[in-house]
Amino acid sequence: MSDMWINMGPQHPMTHGLWNLRVRIDGELILDVDPEVGYLHRGIEKISEDRHYNEVITLMDRCCYVAGLAWEHLYILSAEQALHITPPERSDYLRTMCDEFQRLASHIMWYAAFVQDLGLMSPFLYGMRDRDLVLDLLQDYTGARMTYEYMRVGGVRNDVPPGFTDRARKVLDWLGDRLHEYDQLCLGSAIFRKRCDGLGVLKANDCVAHGVTGPMLRAAGVKRDLRKDRPYAAYDRVEFDVALADGADVTARYLVRMEEMRQSIRILRQVLDWLDHHPGPAVAERLPRWLGAPYAPIGNEGYLLKRSYPKGVGFSSVEEPHGEAQAYVVNEGGEHPYRVKFRSPVFANVSAARQYLIGYHVADIPPIMGSVDICVGEVDR
Amino acid sequence: MTTTTLYSVSYDLSRALLGAVGSVLPPGARDALTSSNAVTALAVLVFCVILLAASMLNTIVLIWWERKLLGRFMDRRGAMHVGYAGLLQNFADGLKLFRKTTVSPREADGLGFYFGPTAYMVSSLVIFGILPISSGWNAGALPLSLLLALTIFSFAPLFIFVSAWSSNNKYSLMGGLRSAAQMIAYEVPLLLAVVAVVIVSGSFDLTTIVYDQRNYWFWGPLFLALVVFVAAMLAEMERIPFDLPEAEAELVEGWNTEYGGMLFAFFMLADYLRALVGSILVVLLFLGGWTLPSWVPAGLTSFPLAGIVWFMVKTYAVFGLFVWIRASLPRVRTDQLLRVGWNRMIPLALLSVFLAAALVTVRCVPVLGCVPSVGA
Amino acid sequence: MASEFNATEKPDENPVLWVARPMATAARQFAKSLFRPSTIIYPYERLEDPRFRTKVGVGSGMPIGVGPVWDNYRGVHALNIATCISCNLCAFSCPDLCIQMVTVPGGDPKHPKKCPEIDYGKCSYCGFCSDACPEGCLTMTTRYELSTTKRSEMVYSPAKLNEVFRTKLPMNPIRIELPKNEDSILLDPPLCIGCNACARDCPTQCITMLDIPKPEAKPGEKVAKRIWKEPVVNDSDCVRCGTCISVCPKECLFWGGSK
Repeated sequence: MSDMWINMGPQHPMTHGLWNLRVRIDGELILDVDPEVGYLHRGIEKISEDRHYNEVITLMDRCCYVAGLAWEHLYILSAEQALHITPPERSDYLRTMCDEFQRLASHIMWYAAFVQDLGLMSPFLYGMRDRDLVLDLLQDYTGARMTYEYMRVGGVRNDVPPGFTDRARKVLDWLGDRLHEYDQLCLGSAIFRKRCDGLGVLKANDCVAHGVTGPMLRAAGVKRDLRKDRPYAAYDRVEFDVALADGADVTARYLVRMEEMRQSIRILRQVLDWLDHHPGPAVAERLPRWLGAPYAPIGNEGYLLKRSYPKGVGFSSVEEPHGEAQAYVVNEGGEHPYRVKFRSPVFANVSAARQYLIGYHVADIPPIMGSVDICVGEVDR
Repeated sequence: MTTTTLYSVSYDLSRALLGAVGSVLPPGARDALTSSNAVTALAVLVFCVILLAASMLNTIVLIWWERKLLGRFMDRRGAMHVGYAGLLQNFADGLKLFRKTTVSPREADGLGFYFGPTAYMVSSLVIFGILPISSGWNAGALPLSLLLALTIFSFAPLFIFVSAWSSNNKYSLMGGLRSAAQMIAYEVPLLLAVVAVVIVSGSFDLTTIVYDQRNYWFWGPLFLALVVFVAAMLAEMERIPFDLPEAEAELVEGWNTEYGGMLFAFFMLADYLRALVGSILVVLLFLGGWTLPSWVPAGLTSFPLAGIVWFMVKTYAVFGLFVWIRASLPRVRTDQLLRVGWNRMIPLALLSVFLAAALVTVRCVPVLGCVPSVGA
Repeated sequence: MASEFNATEKPDENPVLWVARPMATAARQFAKSLFRPSTIIYPYERLEDPRFRTKVGVGSGMPIGVGPVWDNYRGVHALNIATCISCNLCAFSCPDLCIQMVTVPGGDPKHPKKCPEIDYGKCSYCGFCSDACPEGCLTMTTRYELSTTKRSEMVYSPAKLNEVFRTKLPMNPIRIELPKNEDSILLDPPLCIGCNACARDCPTQCITMLDIPKPEAKPGEKVAKRIWKEPVVNDSDCVRCGTCISVCPKECLFWGGSK
């Protein structure tokens, strides 16, 4: 059999979303790959220009459907910078809690999808089961399970309900035990290790050259975590370690993500303790009133422009579960952002596919791409 | 050995039936109807219908059994809606598949596309005509039944490859190639493991092999052969961790990607028929078939149809082991699979053959007792 | 790494253990869920039913979904038609434009009463409408089942939303803490013609038209033809719905007051 191109996607069990990986194979060997994205492009950046600052949040949840709160946080940080608003300290901690719960949910979801690519069905369901606990907690205080619409410019929508922190601690205890079970099923399994060791290697200098960030970069031994390097929200006030591994392969990425989950649990315990002992407002007190409810611009365009508000630009970068996400918001006055631009970490991670796929086997594509943790919603925006 | 076979039962049944019908007919028609040719023809028909119904029913219950077991392994309940505890769910699924239109790709090779699944299904069904089920109810008492069963069992890669090739789909083709490579690689250790059993028993007749396990079951002394046999059988049945030909993560659905409706149901049923055959073979060769050890209270073995009941219990338990493996191990890669097959399995299988030869030479094992004399 | 398993440990060292370990883990899970699987049989058992909340124990029996977890869910809206003032704020604040104000019986012919009609085919359950509602008559309930066979049935009329309200489902108890929009309605006096449209359509009747003196005609100039009245807004009653702004024919009303 001579070499041939096959399309893995846009409808294919491997893709976990709507994208296409064109692969040139010779037998089982990969000769060339060509990732094609853009099937899920919804023009979120452009739509944002026509939305009230708070309405953009509804779009952010759709940006990445497994890490909605992280993207809300990303946008909110730069919008607040553009609008010259400082959120209160309690909302910093609430947002940190959101981020870490979301990281837990996203990493468990990654684990579930990743092991299913390897043919392991039961850990998939264990993962989905345990993620549901995190989603239950998120629903407890945000009111939704996937599209939260929780953060607002100047703070968060509401404080946590009474008794929440105790429930959260229970779930964290439970999850800590489950992580051990995950390791038993994957890291302690001969077939898993045979499949994943030395697979999809992307060395540190290649990572840097391609702009690959997040767990993939840390799995290559580069100590880069925005939560440490450029702290936002309350990350400079909590203790945690940066997860690191040096294999640069699929196993190393697995190790990094598992360790990040443990660190997330550690951060969350500190944040929950802080929330218990420091009551306070969850939104900024000196918030411009037009940023309160209702969020939609009222009246026609002509009236909006009569409102003068200091112009500004905002830039923020957030350690999203998939990597470093960045946002740029331009405020030219008025109730809409003038321009919104996002940098998706997964876009860069997928773009480097040629580096870490060529030379392996067709059967290696699902675990390698699974270890990249692709969320097409944020790749295409 | 004189045993009642399924065929002899159906022969008696059809002779009685035709006799009863013929008694009210004029003499000429009566003679024609009760002639040995007519009785034989009807007996074959009855035989086939009973076999088909029994194997299909078992297969569907087997799928239910797997779904329920997998459900509990995955911390859920499995099918619950149709029938008690979802017992009728698979009938509903089958009915749905039966009602669906069969779609074939435009460029597909029509003959091969339809021949593949049908032949796969039929070849899997035929094996049930050979396997003995219990001392009183074995289907066909053949002196070389083990050899024949394994021969028909190994037809499958051919049919899979035909259907994969004629689907005209790249994924199907890759799945078919993987399937062929894998099945051929694992035929060898499978047969070598069987050879170990045959050396100890001295017979190719499955009934005799079961009969020879009356002192002790073969899984103890031939444990290595059992491990090799189960692993090779997993590869032959294309179940996780050896389900590469239909690895849904990369090959969509492997060699049956293009199949839908009843043709897909054929593949599905035949897969589980083969799984059933595999479990039955493990029970027959290593777990004493329908017999129970002598220390078991007599009440457990003396009720009517006890042999069949214990045989089914063992079969479903062995299939449960396959499900357990499926629930806890990931899929291996093609090259790893083939390397394990050729480099590890065959030496192990050869070792088990030598062990079996040693056992026959020594004849008596301290704890277990003595091997029956060869050819008993 | 803090992980128990060292990544440099090779699986070849003890092949039996490396296969037995995952299988033992799966078997342990099997034994647990044999008696207590973590799922409920959804159409027959429901999470919002308190009897089944405790059943959803994960393995060790730790109950989840206990307490008010479920009650905060943002599901189908409930509308109390009796207290709705037809202010249009829910429709304004909807980012999906899925709310339309439709006439319901109960208003007088000059001021038809309009209540929200929600198209759940578009709704994203963001809750902005219930946050915006000044009277608290549009809230979100825990109802989440919406499947129908017709797309038209996804559109919930005010009467249907009122039925949801009557079922007394638990309402989302979380109320937003953000300040309401507290801009004032300001008037550009030279443009006003005193037409009374704003006062007529104000849902809270907080606009009154006050007489203003008719200016003396200066020589060579004509006095503008208009009604010599001007709207005055009672700020404490105003819900900032902007209806007056949108009905003003001369565009002389606008937002102002806050920074």
